[in-house]
Amino acid sequence: MSDGPPAPRFAASVEGLMEALSSQRYVIDRGLATAVFLALRLEKPLLIEGEPGCGKTEIAKALAAASGAELIRLQCYEGLDASASLYEWDYPRQLLSIRLHERDRTTAEVESEIYSERFLLRRPLLRAIEGSGPVRPVLLIDELDRADEEFEGLLLEVLSDFQVTVPEIGTIRAKQIPVVILTSNRTRELGDAIKRRCLYTYIGYPTVEKEVEILRRRLPDLPAQFAGEIASFVQRLRGEEDLAKRPGVAETLDWANALLALGEETLRPPTVAETLGLLLKDARDLETYRKARVGALLASP
Amino acid sequence: MSGEATPFPAGQRILARVQGFLDRLREEGVRVGTSAGVDLGHALQNLSVLDRDAFRDACRVTLAKSPADLGRLDRVFDEYWTSLGPVPVPPASEEGKRPTPPRERKGAPGAPPPRARPPPEEVARETIQGRYSPRAPALGHPLAPVPPERMRRYRSGARRFRRTTATLPGRRWERAPAGSIDLRRTARRGLRTGGEWVELARRDRALRRADLLILWDVSGSMREHTSELFALVHVLRRTVRRTRVFAFGHEIEEITSLFRGESYRRTLDELASRLHGAGGGTQIAHCLGEFRRYWGSVVRPTTTVLLVSDGWDLGETFDLTGQLEHLRREARRIVWVNPYAADPGFRPETAALKAALPYLDLLTSPVGFPRAYALPGSRGPTRAAA
Repeated sequence: MSDGPPAPRFAASVEGLMEALSSQRYVIDRGLATAVFLALRLEKPLLIEGEPGCGKTEIAKALAAASGAELIRLQCYEGLDASASLYEWDYPRQLLSIRLHERDRTTAEVESEIYSERFLLRRPLLRAIEGSGPVRPVLLIDELDRADEEFEGLLLEVLSDFQVTVPEIGTIRAKQIPVVILTSNRTRELGDAIKRRCLYTYIGYPTVEKEVEILRRRLPDLPAQFAGEIASFVQRLRGEEDLAKRPGVAETLDWANALLALGEETLRPPTVAETLGLLLKDARDLETYRKARVGALLASP
Repeated sequence: MSGEATPFPAGQRILARVQGFLDRLREEGVRVGTSAGVDLGHALQNLSVLDRDAFRDACRVTLAKSPADLGRLDRVFDEYWTSLGPVPVPPASEEGKRPTPPRERKGAPGAPPPRARPPPEEVARETIQGRYSPRAPALGHPLAPVPPERMRRYRSGARRFRRTTATLPGRRWERAPAGSIDLRRTARRGLRTGGEWVELARRDRALRRADLLILWDVSGSMREHTSELFALVHVLRRTVRRTRVFAFGHEIEEITSLFRGESYRRTLDELASRLHGAGGGTQIAHCLGEFRRYWGSVVRPTTTVLLVSDGWDLGETFDLTGQLEHLRREARRIVWVNPYAADPGFRPETAALKAALPYLDLLTSPVGFPRAYALPGSRGPTRAAA
């Protein structure tokens, strides 16, 4: 374990953190910055929930880039278990080693050899705990809601003590506590126990002003007025009642990028209809809006 | 010592106020644990207490654990930290002792009094007051425990239901063409080839768990069946861990947290106070639309949707068809539990039910539910299996 919280050189204050993330082209509001700042200072995991495509994963990337830390990502999925997230023995190499040394070594020697760190496959959680660089690594546990509840149980132990016990080797303790960011799209509710161990924040859809700023920051070639048009259109689209899937910021960026690539300088109904698939990812939404509603949305103030 | 108040140090005063704030949040249903309070204390050491926005942000980050909590916290924060009345003075302590904050303080000075929890013996008689609806009278919902025998039937039915609708991997392993290496079977196979491991056997997790979404109609017309349906929903939530429960009438809200780790009686109690505004008419299509808008990502190809309603709907049938069509595309299967479906003369003749039938995999009653899922054929489209 670390001896007291190390002074993070990029986050002496909330303002300092905002500046550091801003230099990575990540537009952050004060509330979210405070959450990240406190996660760094209190050395507690930060659970970020929110709409898909609104910058939950990006914040971990920006934080790692801003602090010069290693980003270790664990993408969650159904069936994720300790062998894929923590560690696993390299069975084929162990078998090979047994065959190679079965004549010239004793059983005890072989056993001691194959259960050494040389045969240990380190998965993201263990790598984050072992991180020994000058800066605390950033561990991103992405889309935790996709993993099973049993996996949350495994995380509880790791996130509480920041240590892992490998029965054959012993306990591996973190030399420095990693910055842990967990994200969830709320497809299921996470357990109380995991929430209790985390600080919490929620990222919703941005305001039109913030979305324009994101567009301008990410796509410097995009004229300000065009960025405003794009952001306003996407905001109106998000306000539609019957959409199955509302576009996130990631979709807005993709769409703006596509419009730039097509050489557009203003929103025109035919181009919008042709490129609407970058914003709407549901077949029925696409059909409904492409045929009938694009014109109305473009015309509305 | 006389009854006069001793001077109350500033730090203690702030602590007392923060404690009052935490109490107030708990009364509003935000589950604030001791560790969250400690986190807030640590957070405030790193931020200025005098900066109201920073203080609010620190409270949001450390005390809230869901978007609903954030909404409640903001409301309570504005109410509590603006209406500061006189500082609570601790009871007179012995001379020389430091005053300690009062332990049983409920709510802030100037804040509205907390809602009193009814005594347990009155729970069964408690009624849910209806929220105003222009189209239907607001009537109460009698909530009483169902007999143990029936609970047992529901439990066994729920277990069968979980098995039949399992779409997610559980703990058990089974043979699979791809997956992790099954060392035991590989070793046994090796015996056929003189101990050489020629072929690696593979294994994968067997599908044992279900992914369930319950949309429960708590409108006025369902009042006679509330106890029965509550028992069913409670048992399902306890049996199928990945279950989310939403209550709807003319609005929809998530009530999953009510069922988390609590006993049947306690949940009954909680539900009675939580749904005090339920009642009035049903607008199924509108509520499904709201659900899709705010919780759409909950429905996945692995999800079984359980729609618990009598089908008495005030909305447009066309809208309902559109919503169900969408749900049909997104979910694995849709089961409609209708409390009247067990009646011998039952026919799905309400406009909503007629419109919904093409999209259903199963239409059943609460009573028929355990039996319906005992049928081997209930995996596929089965209608009117009540």
